Amino acid sequence: MSQSIYFYFRRTIALLVLTITLILSGGISANKGLEIAKLSDKNNDGYGDSSSSMTMQLINRKGDVVERKLAFKRLEVPEDGDKSIAVFESPRDVKGVAILSYAHKVKSDDQWLYLPALKRVKRIASKNKSGPFLGSEFSFEDFSFQEVEKYEYSFTGEEACKDSMCFVIERRPLDLYSGYTKQLVWIDKENYLVQKIYHYDRKSFHLKTQTFEDYRLYQDFFWQPKKIKMINHQNGKSSILLFEDVRLNTGFTDKDFSQNSLRRSR
Amino acid sequence: MTAWRILTITTFFCMSLPGEVIGEYSLDNRYFFNSGIQDQDKNHSSFTLSPELFIEEDNRIFHIKPKFRKDSKDAERDLFDIQELYLLEILEDKEIKYGISKEYWGVTETSHRVDIINQTDTSESFDGEDKLGQPMIKISFERDWGLLDIYTLIGFRERTFTGEKGRLRFGTVIDTQNPVFTSSAKNKRLDLAVRWSNYFNNFEIAVSHFSGTAREPRYLPSSRKFNQLSPLYEVIDQSGLEVQYFLGSLALKGEIISRSGQEDRFTAATYGFEYTQVGILGSRLDLGWVVETNHDDRLISSPSVIGTRLTFNDISDTQILSGLIFDERSEEVGFLLEATRRLGNCCSISLEGMYFDDTNEDNNETKLFQAFKEDDFLRLEFTYYFGE
Repeated sequence: MSQSIYFYFRRTIALLVLTITLILSGGISANKGLEIAKLSDKNNDGYGDSSSSMTMQLINRKGDVVERKLAFKRLEVPEDGDKSIAVFESPRDVKGVAILSYAHKVKSDDQWLYLPALKRVKRIASKNKSGPFLGSEFSFEDFSFQEVEKYEYSFTGEEACKDSMCFVIERRPLDLYSGYTKQLVWIDKENYLVQKIYHYDRKSFHLKTQTFEDYRLYQDFFWQPKKIKMINHQNGKSSILLFEDVRLNTGFTDKDFSQNSLRRSR
Repeated sequence: MTAWRILTITTFFCMSLPGEVIGEYSLDNRYFFNSGIQDQDKNHSSFTLSPELFIEEDNRIFHIKPKFRKDSKDAERDLFDIQELYLLEILEDKEIKYGISKEYWGVTETSHRVDIINQTDTSESFDGEDKLGQPMIKISFERDWGLLDIYTLIGFRERTFTGEKGRLRFGTVIDTQNPVFTSSAKNKRLDLAVRWSNYFNNFEIAVSHFSGTAREPRYLPSSRKFNQLSPLYEVIDQSGLEVQYFLGSLALKGEIISRSGQEDRFTAATYGFEYTQVGILGSRLDLGWVVETNHDDRLISSPSVIGTRLTFNDISDTQILSGLIFDERSEEVGFLLEATRRLGNCCSISLEGMYFDDTNEDNNETKLFQAFKEDDFLRLEFTYYFGE
């Protein structure tokens, strides 16, 4: 408990200091964009590790829904990106297939795929992450952790969103292999939570809109949405991610995200 | 039938235990366009069942997976195998696996040189990817310096071969009842294997060594059955190296082995690349390319393969694989096409076709596909997955 209070205070103080800095500086748009992104990213600090079960709904143009289930674990790595492991539970033919990811702040993430039928681990080439994930409207890239260092920012303005006001910032991926040229991100002024993202494809068309809904506060310091929705404007399809059984600080260590742990995920 | 009884009992036993039971059964039919060289039938079907039980608690995992296969024509293709039956203990500094299991080594796609822990079930399919369970004790250490696996392999599994009435086999029938072993311990020998692997950014490497009974036999005229060959299982030493380098969408891969114990020491290798075009022509389809070539000291020439994998990224996971295998020296060509997709949440279906080109009849040299020249086929497989 004391730990969560600590994080709560740390975040509050950080928010205060940065808000004051922002007000005082009035700043150049690039710096302001980056500062807001950093503040928003603070929400992801200090969770230690987490586990959740994820349901993915794939909805076609006619409104038919198909479901997929995954078990998801992640581990915070100080000074680097997070480690995570996702194990497929359904559909049945891919049950036990698992993906291990080591995110990095600047260089490309490392990802491995485990195929239980062959008992084979295969590394995923870094460029292939702009493709669709599990036949959904999310790409592999949308799933990886969006480290602050991976983008270039500028501040666009403020806009009403949901019940409050949002900062709108523009970010451009630095990763050559990203499927996007830019993204517009709406971040609320109250808690610095990402509320909406517009994704622009390589031709700079507004391809997808991602919304984050039903944010819940865990252990008094960690915010996570229960629902993430992605609408593809080009093909009229959408995908929804629902998070259940979210648990924090369950005691995972590096061992739970090792090469061996991937091999024993089924 | 005993195998049936064992399987039914195991299935019910598995289901009564407090764990997770899943599994699959599949039906497949192969239609050959011509009768076999030795007049084998055109139509072959088979049925496969493999239930699976998984119990996981704290730092222990228990896994059972028997496999049962029944063929309509070829009794040699009937199988009852324990693919997995092990206890895995996860300790503070290592993992220990006791029991029967499958372990995969290697990086290349079309040929598997380094992979040696398990025996190949060649009667299942001739791609060499189906394996038999191997009894073992495996100790695994994972540290900053990489992953080190040490195996004690207890006893030996003989290779399966398609029988007299089966298709896609050598011209001569293999006498699986009379194998020859060079070790006095026969198929009871204790074999040893070790593999170290690590990765450095975009570079992955593994070095391995195996000392024991060869999984890949040589052949002798059978002493009991006229006109048949007995597999000869010798004791070998095999060192292996696997490397992979990733550059954007490109993966360069190679596997090489050096083996002694089967006459002269020899080297064999498979190497090539894999390249994926994400979102071809602005669509959501991905097109992957695999180009691999082979070298084997034992052969006058080795074939090369160009393969493609078209992934639709749709809700049914539709995929179309194609493979062109060719040998420069004998000018032979084989072509494979395989399409798979999921049906609902329960099932999947796959359609596969293989064509062997034998237009160069006048060439008298030994040919790669000589034995398969009448074996062009179409195969339809339906799989049902059960359990939650």
